Formats: sequence, structure tokens, C-alpha cells
Amino acid sequence: MQAIDKKRFTHIGESVHEREAISSYSLTYMQDAMRRFMKNKVAIVCAVIILILALMSIFVPIFSPFDYREQHYGHTNAPMGTVCDAEGTEGEVHIFGTDKLGRDVWTRIWMGGRVSLSIAIICAVIDLIIGIIYGGVSGYFGKTTDIIMMRFLEIINGIPYLIIVILLMMIMPPGMMTIIVAYSLVGWIPMARLVRGQVISLKGQEFVIAAEALGASPARVILRHLLPNTLSVVIVRTTLSIPAVIFTEAYLSYLGLGIQLPMCSWGSLAQTGIENFRLYPTQLIIPAICISLTMLAFNLFGDGLRDAFDPRLRR
Amino acid sequence: MPRYIIKRLAYAVLTLFALIMLTFFMMRWLPGDPFIGEKTVSATAMENMRIKYGLDQPVIVQFFIYFGNCLRGDLGISITYSRPVTDIISNAFLVSVDLGTRALLFAIIAGVFLGAIAAVKRGKFADSFSMFIAMIGVSVPSFILGALLQYFLALQLRKVFGITWFPIQGWGELKHTFLPAFALGLGSLATVSRLMRTSMLDVLNQDYIKTARAKGLSERRILWRHAMRNSIMPIVTIMGPTVAAVLTGTFIIESIFNIPGLGKYFVTSIKDLDYTMISGTTVFYGGLLILCTLVVDLLYGFIDPRIKLEG
Amino acid sequence: MSKRILEIEDLRVSFDTYAGEVQAVRGVSLHVDEGEVLAIVGESGCGKSVTAQTVMKLNAMPPARIVSGSIILDEHDIVKATSSEMRKIRGREVAMIFQDPMTCMNPTKQVGKQIVEAIRLHNHLSAADARVQAINGLEQVNIPNPKDRAKQYPHEYSGGMRQRAMIAMALSCNPKLLIADEPTTALDVTIQAQIMELLTEIKEKRNTAIILITHDLGVVAGIANRVAVMYAGVIVETGTSHQIFYEPRHPYTKALMRSLPSVDANKTTDLISIPGTPPDLLSPPAGCAFAARCKHCMQICKEEEPPEFTLEQEGHTAKCWLLHPDCPSAAERGDLSE
Repeated sequence: MQAIDKKRFTHIGESVHEREAISSYSLTYMQDAMRRFMKNKVAIVCAVIILILALMSIFVPIFSPFDYREQHYGHTNAPMGTVCDAEGTEGEVHIFGTDKLGRDVWTRIWMGGRVSLSIAIICAVIDLIIGIIYGGVSGYFGKTTDIIMMRFLEIINGIPYLIIVILLMMIMPPGMMTIIVAYSLVGWIPMARLVRGQVISLKGQEFVIAAEALGASPARVILRHLLPNTLSVVIVRTTLSIPAVIFTEAYLSYLGLGIQLPMCSWGSLAQTGIENFRLYPTQLIIPAICISLTMLAFNLFGDGLRDAFDPRLRR
Repeated sequence: MPRYIIKRLAYAVLTLFALIMLTFFMMRWLPGDPFIGEKTVSATAMENMRIKYGLDQPVIVQFFIYFGNCLRGDLGISITYSRPVTDIISNAFLVSVDLGTRALLFAIIAGVFLGAIAAVKRGKFADSFSMFIAMIGVSVPSFILGALLQYFLALQLRKVFGITWFPIQGWGELKHTFLPAFALGLGSLATVSRLMRTSMLDVLNQDYIKTARAKGLSERRILWRHAMRNSIMPIVTIMGPTVAAVLTGTFIIESIFNIPGLGKYFVTSIKDLDYTMISGTTVFYGGLLILCTLVVDLLYGFIDPRIKLEG
Repeated sequence: MSKRILEIEDLRVSFDTYAGEVQAVRGVSLHVDEGEVLAIVGESGCGKSVTAQTVMKLNAMPPARIVSGSIILDEHDIVKATSSEMRKIRGREVAMIFQDPMTCMNPTKQVGKQIVEAIRLHNHLSAADARVQAINGLEQVNIPNPKDRAKQYPHEYSGGMRQRAMIAMALSCNPKLLIADEPTTALDVTIQAQIMELLTEIKEKRNTAIILITHDLGVVAGIANRVAVMYAGVIVETGTSHQIFYEPRHPYTKALMRSLPSVDANKTTDLISIPGTPPDLLSPPAGCAFAARCKHCMQICKEEEPPEFTLEQEGHTAKCWLLHPDCPSAAERGDLSE
């Protein structure tokens, strides 16, 4: 054993600061989730795509030289990029061509975007509200209330929702409002289930009991403890339900139960596109891309949110 | 176990009841008298129908008559085709079942495999590729996919390359089934494979897999004997909604590919406003789905030993 | 002279995480002989489980990585072994039981079948013979009605029974070394005693070497022949049970022993704990890992990691600069803590 300088054996004792040191800085839950989200490039790209689609839908119809209802009979089914020669709009380019009545597809697509996206967002929000209330009440009060509410939900859930929607659409006049109402009648079910599950599992957790033991009132418990913890799941679910609405709207439009002419939505544009697509495939492909891109973007965005909020679920 | 079976049966019956009630009341609220249409109906026929459907009786009685009729298989006469709805259904139904089953099997089998591969080869190319396919299935609605496939694989291949593998439409031979079944099944395949991947990743992280490895089992054995079986459970639970999705998907796919299945009749009856046909097919479809969900639930009860023992 | 079953020398294991390299095991050396029970004690996160799992190469590699060191299990070189070689070793030469028996058994398979699987993996037996052996195994761990019990599922067993079934599964191929990773942490005290008795029986009857990993010193006292005390990825002191409990030399071990509540203490005696927390293994300190929390810490402790010093009795070693021959007395150092 080599000899060691006695000076190195000077007494120091405990280092109080060092022993309690936490090496990384602490973040709030939201900050932590945001940080994780920012690292997810795919999700950020999707968020940007969604933003672009939304902005285009809002602004293009305003600034476009064509109105979405404007028909140019001399110029029907024109291919992409044709120059218009009708009076009043000479020299303007039909970026996506025209449809069978000579309407500018570019303008109609973004008009349709307004309709489809607004329906999607409105339905998602309504889902959210009804779902939270129903699920929250059922989960929080439990016992008989819960049993009755859940039985009711199971029965409604047993009937395929598309059938309910179709039936309803038959008795109500077709249009945007009808679609929203029809979807909202059944769309809240998955959300309610989710919220109820969360509330039930959170109710029994120790931090809730701890808060109650400290004297917190039920309102405080719900607002400051239960709700923030359900928020993350709820947000994710809302984001993921938007593609479902878009799909439903497209489906209904194909059946002729959707948005009526001359107003358009991506679904109704796809429907007319399917009718003509053998000859003019672009009229199907363009709305199809819009629909698919939106659904994809929201799906990946929702996945990204989920990963950010709960990394344990990360795939 | 018996308690579970009874519970599931009770739900099925109640749901069916609710469905028929819903359909009945919807039909009543339709604008116009269903019997005054374009077709002229003779006075005696009208009278017969009035008696049969009890149209002069109170609503509740009418409902129970309707309910009874439904259960007996009498779903009314189609206005467009002037034939009993059940007649039309029984012919077209089998075609739809054929298509639906193919799509379902495709979705489940391919989905399970794709998901399992993605989980085992997590982070590598196979994973990204499988999930890419899943993403397509999730974002492109089945009917749009069907139309696109029809255009590119059937029409264009034919025009440009002279390849006639995929007929543009129609039904009757094996080759007619590829495109529609694929388009119909891809959406469900996507859901199944994503779920399978998550489920399998979850299972592979479980402690008992660690134990199996500690015993000296090869990775392959662990996969097949322990992981697979436990990962498939969540898939069984979503079988109900999956069947529903496939079934509702057939409506439009049959329309696009001109397949003489029930869906096509349903779609045309909506366009024609053939109310009896609509309500008849609705009850039928709904009832079918309720039955499928029941079967799936019972199946799940047999597979999960925890339910088997505790009921 | 008992055969040496396991020899670990200067093992270093790290985890490559997105945050950096976590040095979980930083130079661990230990050995176990036939019929001997070695207890590895330490706080959560000190690296004892990682060490044990590395013996069987059970940790996922990536992100785990054996940086250096050697592990010799009864003439098998574990570090160099290939996956197929490891598969033959696992279960037959060395077996492991884990902390939570509920999650460690496949909930959808009958217990008997799971044991049979282990047996048939390493022995050429027919299904019927393997089944008989499995039932015998259950009987040997004192599970009543083994024949019926074998057909049941894990959730039908009580906690203690499940752990015993796990032990039966682990022993089914007569391994030379049994690693028990916190086997009683999830169990009640009375069941703990049963499991410990069972392990003692196994040691005596089958001459199996046992590594017992735990943070419960009471459990250690009952059964262990030798004890290794681990802290922050390093073994700070090794010795016989008696030496560790009654003659601890490392400040950490001493602090641990002091913190054991005593039945004789009266109501007003304070409970003693060790203030502070173990260091972050993402950036471990340059010197002794315990320095920040040690009352006797010296300048050299912060600069350099102490080597292993052998103490008066053979087999008793500790890594502490206080044991260096050149180390002056407390008064000379300026240490007034005692």
C-alpha cells in the first residue's frame, strides 16, 4: 500500500448542501409536458399542418377572385391551372381547375375546409362538454347514479352510431346543424366513459384522500386535484375525435345526407369527385388528400400530445 | 361465468328493444304519410295494411305490433321494389357477409401480425413500415380508398399496362373480392395493428416475461407462448366495434364497386326515400351487430380466466 | 472446502439513457460458495438488483451495458457468453425469484404448466413425467394439495403461496445458484418468516448457493452467512453476518446499524436516520460516494475513491480511507464527531 501525505486526511465532515442536492431543475407538470412535446418533431409538423389548413380555409375564400358558387359554363371540368376567360375574372388562374358546373375548385376546397373543420371542432367541443359532465357526475357520485347512467350509456352504445345518425338525418332537414346535432347525440359516449374511468381511479388515490384529510372542500378537490389530472386524457381524446367527425361527415355526404349544394364540404366534394372520378380524377383526389391529411395530422398530433402528457404510455 | 352470460344476454335484448323502438318512432316522425307515395295503392290493399299495422290504434299498440312483426321477421314491404323487405335482405345479405368476413379476417390476421412485428422490432424499419401502413388506414376513409384503388389499380393498370388482375367492379369471382375487401379492411387493420403493438409492448415489459427469460426460454418461445396470447386480449374487446365498422363500411364500398350486397340496397333506399326498406335494414343491421357484439363478449368471457372463474 | 459458485470481479454496468450514462454498478467484486447465503443490502437504487440481473444477463442490453469486469459462474464466463449459451445457463445453473410474485407469473397460464415449462426446457422428460416433477416441486415448498393447486391460476393463490410457487419454479431444475431479489418485500411479516425458513431449508438440503438481495436488515440477520453492503453502485463493506452487525467498520454500515430501531429503547428516544440522499449516478462524485453524508469525511475522501482494505479478521473488507495505515487518529485530524 503506497504511503499517503498526512495532509490529505484533514477532517471535513458532512457537506449539508451537497447531500441534499437535486441535480436537475424542477418543472411543473405542464412545463414538463410541453418540453416533451417540443421534442416530438412529427407532432410539431402535424400541428403546423393543421394550422396551415385552418388558415387557408379562413383566408382563401376571402381573397380568391372567384366565389365558391360562381359557375362558368364555358369552362366546365377544366384541368388544374387553367386560365379563366369569363368576364370579370379574365386572366385569373383556376389553380385546381373547375368542376362540372364550372366552379373554381380551389375556392370550393377551402370553403369546404371551413365547413368541415368547423363541424369537426364544434362536435368535438360538444362531445367534450357532455362527456365531461356525464362521466364526471357518474364517476364522482358512484353507486346507484353511476349504475343507472352506465346502463343507459351501454344501451345507446349498443346501437351502431351510424345507424342512429342516418335515421336522425332522415327526419331532420339536411345541413350543417343537423350533422352536428346527429353526431353529438352519440359522439359523447367514448368521452364520458373515459372521464368516468379517470374520475373513479383518481377518487381512490391517496393524494385525494390526503387533500380531504387536510380539510379541502369537495369543490376544491374537484377543481384543483381531480380535473387537472383528467385534463390531459380529455385533451388527447378531443384531438382524436376530430378525425372521427370528419370521417362521419364525409360518409354522410356520400349518402347524400350531408351538406347540400351549393354549399360544400370536403365530404360532399369527395362525393361528387367519386361520381366523376373516372374522367376527372383530380376532383376526387384533391378533397381526398385534404380529408386524409387532416385526419392523419390530428391523429399524429393527438398521439404526440398523449406521449407528452404521459410518457409511461409511450409506445 | 353464468352471471356474466346472463348479464350480457340481458343487455343484448334491451339494446335490441331500444333499437326497434328508435326505428319505429323515427319512421313515425317522417314527414308525410308513407303510404301516399308515387305508387298507387288500391283501396283494399290500403285497408289490409291499416289492419295489419294497426294504423288506427294508439301508438303504443302500433309499436308492439311493429315489435312483434320484427321479431317474426316481417319487416314490411319495400316501396321501391314492392317486395317484402326480408326477401330482399335474405338474398343480398349473404353477399355482404362474404365481403365483410373477408375484410374482417384480413384486418384481424394481418393486423395482429403487423402489430406483433412492429412491437418486437421496435424502433427498426419493420416498426416504422407497419405503423406507416396503419397510418394510411386510419386517415383515409374506406370508401375514398376504395375509389382510389379502383382508379389506380383497376382502371389505370388496365388502360396503361393492360393488366386485368383487378376488375373495376362486380362480384362473383375471387378476383372481384381483392380490392373491396382490402379497402374495407384497411381501416380496421390499422386499429388492430396499433392496438396490438401497444399491447404487445406492454406485455413484453411485464415481470412474467422477465421470469420466462430467467427460466431460459428463447425469445421466440416467449413471443408465441406467453406474449401473443396475453397481447391479443385487448383486440378481442374491440371486436364488437370492429365488426360494426366493417359492416357500416360495406354500405359505400358495395356502392362503389357495384356489389349486390345489402349495403348497396341500403344506400339506394336512402336516396329513394324508401322508408320501409330503410327501417327494415336498419333493424336488421342493428340486430346483427348486437348479435355479433354478444358473441364477442361471450367469447371474451371464455378466454379471460379471471371472468371464467369469478363470473 | 466448498466450491466457489460465483465470482464477480470489478464489475461495471452502465445504462445509456437519453439523459446520459447512468453508472449503476461501479466496480463490484463479490463471491458466493456452495451452500452459502450471501446477502446484498443497500438502499433502493444502490445497484444491487442490477448486479444480480447482470449475473443472468436479464437486463435489456441496450440500454444496459457491461462496461468492464468479469463474472464467472461455475466455470461459465458470463460476460463473454452468447445469447444461446445464456439461455442454457438460465434456469439450470442459476435461477432467480423476484419481488412481486403476482406480476411475475403469467396470469393466464396454470401454475403447474408454468413449472412444467421450466422443467422441460432443460430436461428431456415427457409431459407426464415433467408434471409429476412439478407437483413434487410444489410439495417440497410446502404447498398443500399440490395436485389440485397445480391446475390453478396465480390469482387463486395467496401471496405467500405465490412466492413459494415461484421458488418451486426456480428450483425445478436444481440450479447451483439461486438469486432472490427482495423476495419478501411485498409480503407480510409472518409470511416473510415462512419464506426465509424455506430458503434456509433449501440451502441446507440442496447445498444451493443463495444470493439474497434486500433492504431489510432483519431478514438478513436470520439467514445470511455473509453480507455485502452496497451504496451508490459500490460495495462498501463485506463480511460475515456477525462482523457486519456487531463490528461494522465503514461509516455507512455503522450508520445503518445505528438506525435500526431497538425494542429496548424508550418512548422518548429519537429515531436515527442518515440525513441526505444518495448521489446522482449520472454524474457520480469523484471520490467516495458516501462523502457528502459522512461525519468523518476527509479531504482525501472527496478526491479519490478508497480502495478495498482487509480488516483484522479474514473475509472482512471495507472501502474506507479511515482504514488506511497512514490515517491519523481522530484528534489529529480535527474530527470531533464521536
